[in-house]
Amino acid sequence: MNIENTKAQMRKGVLEYCILSILKDDDKYASEILAALKDAKMLVVEGTIYPLLTRLKNAGLLNYRWEESTSGPPRKYYALTETGQLFLNELNGTWDELRNAVNLVTNTK
Amino acid sequence: MNKTVNINLANTLFHIDDDAYNKLRRYLESIRRSFAGTKGSDEIIADIEARIAELFLEKMENERQVITNKEVDQVIEVMGQPEDYMVDEDIFEDEPKKTHTENTSKAKKLYRDIEHKYIGGVCAGLEYYLGIDALWIRLMFILLAVFTSGFGLVAYILLWILVPEAATTSQKLDMRGEPVNISNIERKVKEGFDDVAEKVKSVDYDKVGDKVKSSSKTFFDTIGDIILFLFKVFGKFIGILLIIIGASTLVGLFFALFTVGMFDAINVPGVDFYEIVNTSGAPVWVVSLLLFFAVGIPFFFLLYLGLKILVNNLKSIGNIAKFTLLGLWLISIGLLIVFGIRQAAEFSYTGSVNDKMELAMEVPSDTLMIKMKDLGIDYNWDEVNFNGMTFGYDENDKRVLMSDEIDIKIRKSDNDSISINVRKDADGSSTLAARDRARNIEYGYSIDGNEILLDKYLTTDTSNKARNQEVTITIYVPSSKTVYFDDSTNRYIGRGIKNDQGYYRSGLIDHYWLMGKNGELNCLDCPDSDRYEDEDNENGKIIINKNGIDINIKDNQDSFEMKINEDGIKVKANEKSNN
Repeated sequence: MNIENTKAQMRKGVLEYCILSILKDDDKYASEILAALKDAKMLVVEGTIYPLLTRLKNAGLLNYRWEESTSGPPRKYYALTETGQLFLNELNGTWDELRNAVNLVTNTK
Repeated sequence: MNKTVNINLANTLFHIDDDAYNKLRRYLESIRRSFAGTKGSDEIIADIEARIAELFLEKMENERQVITNKEVDQVIEVMGQPEDYMVDEDIFEDEPKKTHTENTSKAKKLYRDIEHKYIGGVCAGLEYYLGIDALWIRLMFILLAVFTSGFGLVAYILLWILVPEAATTSQKLDMRGEPVNISNIERKVKEGFDDVAEKVKSVDYDKVGDKVKSSSKTFFDTIGDIILFLFKVFGKFIGILLIIIGASTLVGLFFALFTVGMFDAINVPGVDFYEIVNTSGAPVWVVSLLLFFAVGIPFFFLLYLGLKILVNNLKSIGNIAKFTLLGLWLISIGLLIVFGIRQAAEFSYTGSVNDKMELAMEVPSDTLMIKMKDLGIDYNWDEVNFNGMTFGYDENDKRVLMSDEIDIKIRKSDNDSISINVRKDADGSSTLAARDRARNIEYGYSIDGNEILLDKYLTTDTSNKARNQEVTITIYVPSSKTVYFDDSTNRYIGRGIKNDQGYYRSGLIDHYWLMGKNGELNCLDCPDSDRYEDEDNENGKIIINKNGIDINIKDNQDSFEMKINEDGIKVKANEKSNN
């Protein structure tokens, strides 16, 4: 059992939830999402996020639009779809439950 | 100075250093591979490229700046290695499975892989089919060929004939177990093309020129190739031979070592005996281990050499291992020599003790009978013995060393009484030690009427060890006394007993011998032709000697005489007259 693997798996598990949360209020493009995740130290390397974004999009939770950029290539702005919003609400509930459960288990010794 | 390349990354132009370009290309290639078959992989790649472009732009201070290895390394560090892109399947089970999971479920086909072949590509093909490294499969075939007397060879040749080679791309994909679809074929073709392109790029134009020339081969080039090929085949053959010799010897040695180890553990008499013989103080397993190293290490190097010939890119076992083995070998040889010398020293001196006794035997008229008598010792001569010594168990179940090295000698007594001398011999590292050891030999005899009963065996305590212990019995017999050797003395009669028949050792048994005045034994009941001449024998005589042939046969009135000598041939025959 590799500790690094376990850590990475824990992170990956909540990564989808985090991405949806970041897009809750505003549309954002990949670099902004990355910046938010990196600030929160949710990500170690950026590569992980691209397959996730594509997957969420393919699942109909996200959509995107292209926007020209003043500096560099055009940007892909991601937004939550209605299904994505519902999905996120569901996950919020689950997360609260999970957090309480984990707190309970880890604190009461 | 370095060449630069212009690349288009997410619709943005970059100047990039040639080395850095290759690194970036390889990086993107490996990411593409890790996403091969994933839904929307093209989109993911496009996104990643866009991000990389963005990162490069952040680093650029002006438009003319060139991207170098440093920038590429930084970008790779930020983006992560290809394996970081992989989404864990255990967590995201709803995702369509990636290609490599499909690979395992898709039935592979057995082809010969002629791209990685040594002989026919059978083993290389099996590598994909069985998922075992081809090296092991090759070794297995060789071992099979050795231990099943050629079965491996036959199996290989059959496979060579029966299994088709993977010639087309779809066959190669089948062989590797990859599904045959357009993208995979494309990938394979591209990989091949990239390789060629890489090669063309990396060689100078001169070399390319050479290549072009060599591709239009002359007749002599072809001949040269054939000769080179034959040399290669010959080399491989030698390699295989070396592997076979090395491997079989090592296997044999392993078994031998294991067997000795087992014997040691369960205390088989043979190993006990080793302890008796051995004086160096080294336990049996140490000596076996030393022998194992002394013999095994050279054969290991032979095996290694064979593998080296057969497998071009064989990993080196490293200098440390090599010198350790060499050192171990030298130490083993040295220790064995030391043990050998110490062992030999134990036998360098021989010591004797004598024990002479006058026998109060009342044999004025009777013949002196010499017999051997068995002791109540359990023994098995066939089991193990060293210089005629073996183990036996006496009536008290005590284990003793015993030997049948008993010699009987007969000499003329100086006086009128019979006496017997028992000489005990043993070897040792000094005369004194040898004499001590000789003194510890137990040997007995007894007298019963006119019989001398000699022990069949000498015995000694096991702590005395086997050191050529021997006993020599000399019986002094006054002249004009008769001696008879019983059947049981067979094999025990020593050399150099003078007798008028010229008999040697056990030839003397079963006869009556009279001790002569000069110490020579005279046979009393031997069938002797000389004696017949003196006596008036009614049956006649046949004498063949240097003077010729003399035949004289009489039977009542009938007689036949023939003489062949320097005077000629004389024949006289008398027949009973018919009156």
